[in-house]
Amino acid sequence: MSVTAINRTLTAVLLAVLVAAPWVLPMFEAEFWLAITAEMLIWGLFAASANLLFGHVGLLSFGQALYFGFGMYGVAIGVDRFGLGFWPALGLGIAAAVAMAAVAGVFAVRLTWHYFAIITVVFSLIFYFLALRLKPLTGGDDGLSFAPPPVARFGDVTLSLGDETVQYLVILAFAVAAFAFQARLYASPLGRAFAAVRESERKAALLGIDVLKVRWIAFVIAGGLAGLAGALFAFYGRYASATYMYYVVSGEAVIWTIVGGTGTLLGPGIGAALLTLVREELSTVWEHYLLVVGAVVILTVVFAPRGIAGAWNAALARLPGVRS
Amino acid sequence: MSVVPVLELIDVSRRFGGLRAVDGVTLSLGRGISAIIGPNGAGKTTLFNLISGLLPPSAGRIQLHGQDITHLKAHARARLGMARTLQIKSVFPALSVYENVWIAARQRYRPLDPFGLWRRDRATAAEAEAALEEVGLTGCADMAAGSLSYGDVARLEIAMALAQRPSLLLLDEPVCGMSPAETEQAVALIRRIGERTDVVIIEHDMEVVFGLAERIVVLAQGRVLADGPPAAIAADPAVQEAYLGQGEDEEEAVHG
Amino acid sequence: MLANLATLALNGLAWGLIVALIALGLSIIFGLLDVINVAHGDLFMVGGVLAWTAVETTGSFAAALVVVPLLGMALGLATERFAIRPILRNPALTIVSTFGLSLILQEAVRATFGPAPRRLMAPLPGTLPVFGTNYEIYRLAAAVAAALALAAFFLFQQRTRFGTWMRAVRHDRETALTLGIPVARVQLLTFALGAALALLGGVIAAPITTVDFRAGVEILPACFMAVVIGGLGNLPGTAAAAVLLAVTEGVVSGLSDPTAARITSLCLMSAVLLLRPQGLFAGAAR
Repeated sequence: MSVTAINRTLTAVLLAVLVAAPWVLPMFEAEFWLAITAEMLIWGLFAASANLLFGHVGLLSFGQALYFGFGMYGVAIGVDRFGLGFWPALGLGIAAAVAMAAVAGVFAVRLTWHYFAIITVVFSLIFYFLALRLKPLTGGDDGLSFAPPPVARFGDVTLSLGDETVQYLVILAFAVAAFAFQARLYASPLGRAFAAVRESERKAALLGIDVLKVRWIAFVIAGGLAGLAGALFAFYGRYASATYMYYVVSGEAVIWTIVGGTGTLLGPGIGAALLTLVREELSTVWEHYLLVVGAVVILTVVFAPRGIAGAWNAALARLPGVRS
Repeated sequence: MSVVPVLELIDVSRRFGGLRAVDGVTLSLGRGISAIIGPNGAGKTTLFNLISGLLPPSAGRIQLHGQDITHLKAHARARLGMARTLQIKSVFPALSVYENVWIAARQRYRPLDPFGLWRRDRATAAEAEAALEEVGLTGCADMAAGSLSYGDVARLEIAMALAQRPSLLLLDEPVCGMSPAETEQAVALIRRIGERTDVVIIEHDMEVVFGLAERIVVLAQGRVLADGPPAAIAADPAVQEAYLGQGEDEEEAVHG
Repeated sequence: MLANLATLALNGLAWGLIVALIALGLSIIFGLLDVINVAHGDLFMVGGVLAWTAVETTGSFAAALVVVPLLGMALGLATERFAIRPILRNPALTIVSTFGLSLILQEAVRATFGPAPRRLMAPLPGTLPVFGTNYEIYRLAAAVAAALALAAFFLFQQRTRFGTWMRAVRHDRETALTLGIPVARVQLLTFALGAALALLGGVIAAPITTVDFRAGVEILPACFMAVVIGGLGNLPGTAAAAVLLAVTEGVVSGLSDPTAARITSLCLMSAVLLLRPQGLFAGAAR
């Protein structure tokens, strides 16, 4: 057995469990976990966008909330102001995020390290404050609520997000598609170019890789992933709010990624799921659970900088009979 | 019949603040193996940085095969057939040796293809394997590049440069830090490469330089001090004064 | 209207000097350790909370002014030792660990001090007539105190051996090491000093703002702007930028509103980041 084979098997099992969840959870009278799992998937997707930049291209973005916010507002404004249906509103949200990332990326990718982190925060703050100010359009602090349109109609049957199972399955389908897309991306020649730029931009340039272009492509794709997460979250919460564009939200994506395992495919999802779980479970017991989250974050970066997934892979590789 | 030189520098300068690191260098390079030598601080690596596009020149023009590349960035020059190794050996440490060479080889064919699977690209795989074979690293293909010994990293860098199929190969101190046995292998390798590709090396080891180069350019204080075949350079009193004496001191300092 | 604007400018000056103090800490930590301390705003916030607590228990603002920065120093030492030093080689990870610290500080304050903002009475009550309006004495005193602290810091850096070491480490770590300067210790104490400056800023600011566990998140962007616009590693520039930004924001928010002022300075900051070539662009830095 190899580590890859074991992880593939586990991923398949996880997928089966996720698909079966709407029918399995009621057996244990734990239906409310369905909504929480849906939320985990969305935050996992959001964390994946930070991971694409940091784990795969080596750019630490503290501004992914901007694209999440654009995805959210694209949906909310699309539905509330333009009366769009589910699919056009979703498309509008993702398109808005991608367009914003395409423009911001032109400037941001010229900077690296600290400067990149700072400029991504600055961009997101500008639009955060703009969103607060443009109250008639965005609802500012209070946000913008809307009634979600039906997902699809087949004759008399209407698939509506009001049905928990439908909502969960829609979100799951998008999350699975997005993670499959990433897996494919990282296994492509472009994925190797990402890795080359992450490892050494100077060497990459000497080999003929257009570093700025590669970074820009990654930035736009990451913006699209964050936008998708934001759009789904808007449908899930039936509203959009400027508070989700603040830099603290961006920081959470980075934290989930690092706790889960940077540069791995499912690490960000694992990190997001774990911390959502901590929030849901611990917060009922202890109001100040964020103290634990903060401690976990520091302990992870100090003692397991490769995160849960990284530690898992290392542990697997040490087992007898397992190839790395 | 005039032959277009492989690489032509026309009055190229580079200043850092008040320091003229490269000062009005005019030079045609190419055809076989040439070497650039000079005392420390003569501007050799700066000159390589100007040629490969890691630094923009303060003045002057650079041409590759007659095409002006002065304003092209490093990656664009690489695509025109220029490959370069770095003095401080540089590879992608977290990637496998094979991946390192594969990435180098893939840059000539749809490098940013997001749809293919890199593991299934047989044409590039064959090129990468051939380059590893040539430098003798086939056995280390699956190791992480960061775990290689210093000499092997240097060989990997050369393999990556070869995988680029360059028309001009710039090697910055290729045998620096190698054991005598490794140096001998590397010299044989460079000589082999020189039979099919134009090579320019910067090197401190005079035995290597005089054993390999058909032409030697001596830099001192950012200027070309002498330029000619090895015998003429060895006999040039100005070179001996400016460089060779000091070079031997350095050798002693290193070995002593 | 004019008097109103003068008041706003004066408010901006006082606030700017306090921000300068905090931004200075951020800047030396960045300059000497390559660490972007995301928890720096929260250190400021903790300073305010501790000041409030000290005044509640001892009744003396002066005590807070002395004791709280010392506590900040201790907090800084512990943080550097346990959350920064082990990962100093990886700047990206240090950003994340300071983010963790930020969560801890905010939540610890929320748990002990409570979520509701509180007010601290000005230790120097009363007003002075300035430009035809009555201006609070404490605001002027706060401006003077912050300016004095800034001056003391610059003197410390110019006149003491440790200050010289700090400048050497900021300039070139490798060379400093070969000169026999204890770089690791200088970095440790720099982090502690930076934290102490943030807490001191928190104490000085406490009576003119509300003491609230969210105060750090609000002030951090302003500090970053000062550091970036003033020039990374340029300490006088940072201080000047902090004052300039605060005065501009004060006046612009008087003419329009605070959010517009914030957006204006953020746009200014992006322009500086992108257009100032000195060390800001990746390629030019080498």
